[in-house]
Amino acid sequence: MIRTALTSALCYRDPKAALKFLEAAFGFELVMLIEDNDGNLAHSEMSFGDSVVMIGSEWSVQSKSPASIDGFNTQTVHIHIEGDVDAHCARARAAGGEILMEPADQFYGDRTYRCRDPEGHIWTVGAPIRAVSPEEAEAASGLKVVKGWA
Amino acid sequence: MSSKILVALRIKAPPLRVFEVFTADIGAWWKPNALFSFTPRAPGVLAFEGAGEGSRLVERLPSGKVFEIGPVRVWDPGQRLVFGWRQASFAPDMDTEVEVRFELVGDETRVTVEHRGWDTVPTQHVARHRFPDAVFLQRHAEWWRALLTGLASRTAMDVQERAREGDA
Repeated sequence: MIRTALTSALCYRDPKAALKFLEAAFGFELVMLIEDNDGNLAHSEMSFGDSVVMIGSEWSVQSKSPASIDGFNTQTVHIHIEGDVDAHCARARAAGGEILMEPADQFYGDRTYRCRDPEGHIWTVGAPIRAVSPEEAEAASGLKVVKGWA
Repeated sequence: MSSKILVALRIKAPPLRVFEVFTADIGAWWKPNALFSFTPRAPGVLAFEGAGEGSRLVERLPSGKVFEIGPVRVWDPGQRLVFGWRQASFAPDMDTEVEVRFELVGDETRVTVEHRGWDTVPTQHVARHRFPDAVFLQRHAEWWRALLTGLASRTAMDVQERAREGDA
């Protein structure tokens, strides 16, 4: 299996429930699961496209699920898809995801939505719908494109 | 059975084909790993002797000796395969089990290997190389992942060969 250089690792109070949610909501596939002698999840990985995310428990004092820290997130994972964002959103909602932002077209050319999972992790999902020039993006957003616009 | 490892991989072939390569060609795609050798001797070649429940998975050693890894408990072509897995160093009360599931997903097969029962092998046992439980299981899972990658390559070769023979 080809490993991408960067991988997010997310903490859950109930990581096994998270595996079920992430499969049902986003179509992630479980590719590795390790359980200890007591049947607790020790490590797991789910794949999507060419990437994986690691789903784990709250394994240290500093590693917490949003469910344990008043819903705060210190990072979010962005899911890039090719295809129908609205259908993706409908599936996430049906699986129990809370839609924080309905699918909407963005100035940079993607259509995106934002979803909170049952433990409070926030996921953004986007698909490209049209090519936008740096000039058009700057005019629409009032931002300055400094570097890296394809 | 607890203390388990699960790894899964998609392979571009129908479930029955992947099942056949898994069983009939295990001698070709299986690669030994010094950390997880079945016997203290030089590694041999794996084979399923027979087909169906009652057959067995063995390692044929270079010396000509045959080591039984475990009996086949479920043989359901294209669906499921379950067999026992013991190393020569295991005491009689130690036993692990491997379940392989073959699921059609689109035009691919999702192969899932679940290796369970490591709780029957004490953490201080020689088979675990003094690794902490989590490290041992992680290394074992990585090995299974490498093995499944080998299975995928072997299956791709098999599909190509059959296509050339007009039997795909």
